[in-house]
Amino acid sequence: MMYKWLIGLVLLVSTATAQAAVNVVATTPAMGMLAETVGGDAVSVRVLAPADRDAHYLQARPSMMAALRGADLVVSVGAELEVGWLPAAIRGANNPGVFPGRSGYFEAAAQVDLIGVGGPADRALGDVHPAGNPHVNMDPVRMAQVAHALAERLIRFDSANAELFRANAEAFERKVEEHLPVWRERVADAPGVVFFHEDADYLAKRLDVPVLGYVEPLPGIPPTARHLRDLVRDLEGRDGVVIRATFHQERGPRFVGEQLDWPVYALPLDPEVGATADDYFDLIGQWVDAMAGKL
Amino acid sequence: MPSLKRALPAAVLMSFSMPVMAQDMFRDSQLPGARLAPLPLGGTHQVTSGSAFNPDISIIVDTVYFNEISGHVDDPAGFEAGHDHGHGGHDHGHDLDEGFNLREIELAFSASVDNYFDAFVMLALDEHDIEVEEAYATTRNLPAGLQIKAGKFLSDIGYINSQHPHDWAFVDRPLVNEFLFGDHGLQETGVQLTWMPNTPFYSRFGIELLQGETEGIAAYEGREDGFPFKDESGPRLVTGFAKFAPDLGFDHAAQFGLSYGYARAFQRGETHSSGRQESWDGDSWFAGVDAVYKYDAGRSHGAGDWVLQGEYFYRAIDADYRESAGATPTSATTRQDGLYLQATHGIAPRWQVGARAEALGLTNDNALGGFRDAQGQRIGFDSFGTSYRYAGNVTFRPTEFSMLRAQVNRADFATEDDDHDGDGWSFMLQFQMALGVHGAHEF
Repeated sequence: MMYKWLIGLVLLVSTATAQAAVNVVATTPAMGMLAETVGGDAVSVRVLAPADRDAHYLQARPSMMAALRGADLVVSVGAELEVGWLPAAIRGANNPGVFPGRSGYFEAAAQVDLIGVGGPADRALGDVHPAGNPHVNMDPVRMAQVAHALAERLIRFDSANAELFRANAEAFERKVEEHLPVWRERVADAPGVVFFHEDADYLAKRLDVPVLGYVEPLPGIPPTARHLRDLVRDLEGRDGVVIRATFHQERGPRFVGEQLDWPVYALPLDPEVGATADDYFDLIGQWVDAMAGKL
Repeated sequence: MPSLKRALPAAVLMSFSMPVMAQDMFRDSQLPGARLAPLPLGGTHQVTSGSAFNPDISIIVDTVYFNEISGHVDDPAGFEAGHDHGHGGHDHGHDLDEGFNLREIELAFSASVDNYFDAFVMLALDEHDIEVEEAYATTRNLPAGLQIKAGKFLSDIGYINSQHPHDWAFVDRPLVNEFLFGDHGLQETGVQLTWMPNTPFYSRFGIELLQGETEGIAAYEGREDGFPFKDESGPRLVTGFAKFAPDLGFDHAAQFGLSYGYARAFQRGETHSSGRQESWDGDSWFAGVDAVYKYDAGRSHGAGDWVLQGEYFYRAIDADYRESAGATPTSATTRQDGLYLQATHGIAPRWQVGARAEALGLTNDNALGGFRDAQGQRIGFDSFGTSYRYAGNVTFRPTEFSMLRAQVNRADFATEDDDHDGDGWSFMLQFQMALGVHGAHEF
C-alpha cells in the first residue's frame, strides 16, 4: 500500500518536473531579464535581489533558500559580486543541483573577459576582487555573449527548446548591435564621467567615455572629505558629469557636482524586477544620456 | 528511535550509490562557467564563487577590553557556569579578565572533500590552548532536500546557538544560552539530518543524534570510583528542530523556530576536599522557541536596517541526588528557563546601535545543590529569584573585514546568599578583524 503511494508520488513529481518550465533563480534583475529573454516561455524566473539594492551587500534570507530549493538553474553575475550571501543561501537550500561547479550554477562573469583581473589582493586597497570587476551587466555587448552561453546552458535542461533559446540569444545580440551605434553617437563628445564606484566602467569603456575618477577613495570605502577635495582639485576647470547608483550616498557626489559645477545623476544599476530586454536597453540608454550630460 | 537509526545509514549509503550523479558532475565540470579553478584568468570560463584557495581559509581575531565599572557579579543564583566544577577556585575559562583580553582567534577552513562531501573546520585559539569549535562534513548528493551533517558542530537548535562569536551583535553570549547549555552553547559531536520540503515558503526540519557532553543539559561522567554512575553509550542526546519563514518580500524577513531535546543521561559529580562525593544522576529535556525579524532599508552599508531577535528556553533535569557515595538518593527535578530580546538598528552607514534585555531563571527550582530547608530537612531543591541583565552597544564597521564595538552591561543578578551583591556595571570594547576569504553569513 505504502509503496504504491510512494511510486505514485514519484511518478507525479517526475512528470510534473518533466513538463514544467525550467525553474531559474536569478540573483539580480538584469540577470533575471537575460534569463527571461533567452528562455522565453520555457523558463520561469525568480529574482532574489531588487534593483534598488547593492547586490554586494545583501544578506542571505530564508526566502532565497526557499527559492533556491526548487531551482533547476541559478543565474548569477559572479566574480564575487554575490559572495557575501549567495554561497550561504545555496548552502542553506539543501539543493545540490545548484552547487557551484554543477550544471545548475551559472555565472555571467565567467563567460566573458573581465577588466581589473589579477589586481593586487591587498585589502588595504579597499574591497578589491582580484577575480575582476564583476559588473558585467552594465555592458550590453558582454551581456549578449552571456546570453549565448546561457542559451547553451538552458539546453541542458530543456533540449526540446534548443532552437528557441539560441534564436532568442541571437535576437538579443542583434538588438544590442542596433543600439550600439546610437549610443556611441550620443556620447561622441562626452567629456568624461566621475562614477561613485567602479560599477559602470564596462559601459564607459565600451562607449569610449573617459572615466575621470571615483567618489569613493577606494572600492567599498565611503567618500572622505580629503579624497573629495583632491578629486575636485584634480578636475577643476574640466567638463564632465557625476553619476552614482541610486543606493549610494548622495552627499559625496553632490559635493563634487557643486564644486565643479557638473550635473549629478542617480541611476539604478539594474532594471526593475520582471524587466524585458527593452527595459534593460532603456536603462542603458539613460546611463548613456547621463554620461552625455543630457538626461 | 530505532527506525531513525536505520534510516540514517540508509540515507548515507544512498548518497554514495549515485554513480549517475557523480558522472554528471564530472561532465558538469567541463562546462563553461561551471569549472572551479584556482586563479581565474579573464574569460577562461571559470566560476569565481568557488575557492580561489583550497581550502578557503579565514582568520578572525577577537580582542576585548573589559572593565567592571562598579560591583562584581558572580554567576546568577541557581546557575553555575559550564566548565569547571572543581572546588577551590572558580576558573571559568571563558570569563573576561579586567583589562585587555585576546579572547579568541577563530581559524576556519572550508572546502569540498570530494564528490560526496563538503567540509568545514573551525579551530578556536586563545593564549592557552586550541579548541575544535567545529569539524564536520555535509553531504553533497542527497536528493529530496535532505542533508546530513556529521562531526563536531554547533547544534541548530534555537537561533544564536549555531552562530560563532564573530556573528553576534553583542560582545557576550546570551545568558540563557550560556547557562542552560554551556560556554559554547550546545556544541556536540554527532550526526544531523535536515529536510527542506520544496514549498513556496521556507521550512526546514532537523533531527540530531549527539554524544551528550554539554554540561548544562547532558553532563556525563560515566563509571567512576566512588560515584554511582553507570556507563551510558552515546548518543545520549537527541534534539529536533523546525524552522519556518514566510516570504515577506525584499524588505522584510522573519524566521520562527521550535526546538526540543532529550538527554537520557545527566550525570554530575563533585568531590569535596573532605573526600565526600556528591552526585546527581538522571535524565533531562529542554524546549525552546526563537524568532528573528530583519528589515532591509536598502540604503548603503546597513543604514536604516533593523534586526529584532528573541529566544526562550526551558530545561528540566530529573536527577537522583546522593549526598555521598552510599547515601540514599533523593529524587528531584530542576526546572529553569531564560530568555533574551534584542534589537539592532543601523543609525548611519557602517554605524549600528543595539539594545538587549535578558532574564534568567523566571522559573528557577534548582535541585543540583542538594539543599535543606531551615529545619535541616532535605527538600531536594532550592528556589531562587530571577537574574536580569541589560546591554547597550554601538558598533562601527569600517569595512566588512573589521569591527569596533563598545558595550555597557548592567547586571541585576539574584544571589544565593547575602554575602554577594548581584548588581554591577561593566564596560567592554571589542575589536575584531577578519583575514582571508570573504565570509558569507547565514541568515
